[in-house]
Amino acid sequence: MATEVLKTKAEQELAQQFETGMPNLPGSDVGWTKAMREAAWQTYAAAGLPHRRVEEWKYTDLRALLKDAYPPAPALGEALTAENIDAALGEHVAALDCHRIVIVNGHFREELSDLDGIGGQVEVRSLSEALSDPSDWLQNTLGQVAPQDGDVIASLNAALMTGGVIVRVAAEAKLEKPLHLIHVAAVKDAAGLATRNIVDVGADAAVTLLESYTGHGAIPVQRNAVTELVAGDKADVHHIKLQNDNAHTAHLSTWMTRLGTRASYRAFQFSTGADVARNQIFVQFAGEGGLSHVSGAVLSRGKQHDDTTMVIDHAVPECESREFFKLVLDDDARGIVQCKVNVQRDAQKSDGHQIAHGLMLSETAEFDSKPELEIFADDVVCGHGSTSGQVDEDLLFYLRARGIPEPQARALLIEAFIGEALEKIERDDVREAFSALTSSWLKGE
Amino acid sequence: MLEIKNLHVKIADEDAEILKGIDLTIPKGEVHAIMGPNGSGKSTLAYVLAGKEDYEITEGSIHWNGEDVTEMEPDERAAAGVFLAFQYPIEIPGVATMTFLRTAMNALRKARGEDELSTPDFMRIVKEKAKELGVADDKLKRPLNVGFSGGEKKRQEILQMSLLEPTLCVLDETDSGLDIDALKIVADGVNRLRGDDRAMLVITHYQRLLNYIVPDQVHVLSDGKIARSGGKELALELEESGYAEFGEQAA
Repeated sequence: MATEVLKTKAEQELAQQFETGMPNLPGSDVGWTKAMREAAWQTYAAAGLPHRRVEEWKYTDLRALLKDAYPPAPALGEALTAENIDAALGEHVAALDCHRIVIVNGHFREELSDLDGIGGQVEVRSLSEALSDPSDWLQNTLGQVAPQDGDVIASLNAALMTGGVIVRVAAEAKLEKPLHLIHVAAVKDAAGLATRNIVDVGADAAVTLLESYTGHGAIPVQRNAVTELVAGDKADVHHIKLQNDNAHTAHLSTWMTRLGTRASYRAFQFSTGADVARNQIFVQFAGEGGLSHVSGAVLSRGKQHDDTTMVIDHAVPECESREFFKLVLDDDARGIVQCKVNVQRDAQKSDGHQIAHGLMLSETAEFDSKPELEIFADDVVCGHGSTSGQVDEDLLFYLRARGIPEPQARALLIEAFIGEALEKIERDDVREAFSALTSSWLKGE
Repeated sequence: MLEIKNLHVKIADEDAEILKGIDLTIPKGEVHAIMGPNGSGKSTLAYVLAGKEDYEITEGSIHWNGEDVTEMEPDERAAAGVFLAFQYPIEIPGVATMTFLRTAMNALRKARGEDELSTPDFMRIVKEKAKELGVADDKLKRPLNVGFSGGEKKRQEILQMSLLEPTLCVLDETDSGLDIDALKIVADGVNRLRGDDRAMLVITHYQRLLNYIVPDQVHVLSDGKIARSGGKELALELEESGYAEFGEQAA
């Protein structure tokens, strides 16, 4: 006799959404899209929402954290102006000189976007349209860039996604200004959002892709955002995320990246918003001589929970991976960094190193760091390190002895701590914007 | 005028006294040297003057210009004109030297009710003082003291002292780790700051520094008390006889 696994309220609501909502999802009348969604749903449903007994989720028990599954957000969302978008981004990020690609509740909003001067180099298309008319390329790409078998969040996303964009950067294109994907949640009532970006960077192309996740207003949101990114041979990609969702947001984010031969991938995630955030980053080396440097800064306070979980897969020889994260945790905040580095049997001369530092500003903050190395090749260099501590009293005394009052001295040291992570961002304009966000955060803004 | 009366100090959370009743007066315009064997309490005195929280004053008082500084926070003491040149200047990764200097200068100006420095004024003053002390431009661009040699760190301390223009300068073993050329540069920097409005307390283990910074008075600290005081010739005498009579065993 088969026993039915007891589903939580949120899981039951998700099942209801899928059953009744399927006909309204983009591409539901198209065979390939429908089959893809159903297969993804099955993968999700076999496991349900992840909980603490699933090793990868031991610190982030979604089954406990998500009491309800909010109904899907209306596709069009609120009517927003360019000023609303700037306000949602905040002055420092809004001031960045970028090609803007604005996505409100998953819907690509061309009238709010600014793609002047990139014709012939970059093609941007709405994913919801593409799902209704899936090209061979899409069928061969979606969900297959760096597949994570059984990742329930990415599967749930594939089953329920309503939109996002496809960005294709032509081979050898060199873009001066960043492409800024601005994902804004704009809802009247508590809502769920499932969006996906597919980014295809051609061989020898150079591009900075900045993704901002933010909200218009303070209505609770459950966001499930996926970005699949292919970097072609010798492509040079800077991939940066700003997570500044409103304080009532559950932010689930998954990056799946595949790197071609001698491709260079420098990723950075700056996380300061949301109530609960799970940032998944999966990088797969598919060609020899690739480079992946993934870094990030996390600023959390109150009861915020921020989990960054990475899996770096050295599938081929002679690739270099670095992970460097810094977290500032105040009040009852909890920060988590997990990073698993796989070195496969043939991946000789792999070079991997990961570091995570937590700076605790209160007695009740918590930092969990879990490095994992799985090495099957015998000629590799791999290492890891992690520290957690408080603001150094000797440094504080030195600054105060020079006349700097304690709160200012403390802020200077925290900025310096985060600054070492921000240094990993090669673009001065983005680094300075994030530095300004850090200063604002320290002032409680 | 600096007036220290019957100062008793112990490390917080410990019982043993380090300073056991110090009486010391330094009028403005004078430079006093404190010499003494290792472990006699020289650095403790320096830290207590600057307000380090690891120490507890159990008895006695410290007045600077008539103000009781013992209840002041370290930054309040700095605003009142107290400056400690550290024996071991600290490296602060991620804090650019220029940002630090500017923050400190403006914090002191603010505490004294003065306007902040404009960027050009700030740059001009720093470049001028840095040149006098032989501090290279590239050192100013780096994070504070990170990767600096011992001598470079000591020069940074004196640069900070020249920029912050304190009225009570406490130099804790500023000569340690310096070769003779660096010692001369640092001593010149200190001598430029000598003046009628300033009192200086120069702490050193060796007499050598006092050839370049000539003190008005020399005090010997031994086992937490001032054991002897005298003129500058006392330093030479100590150089001859060592600290044996003050309780330090010959090596």
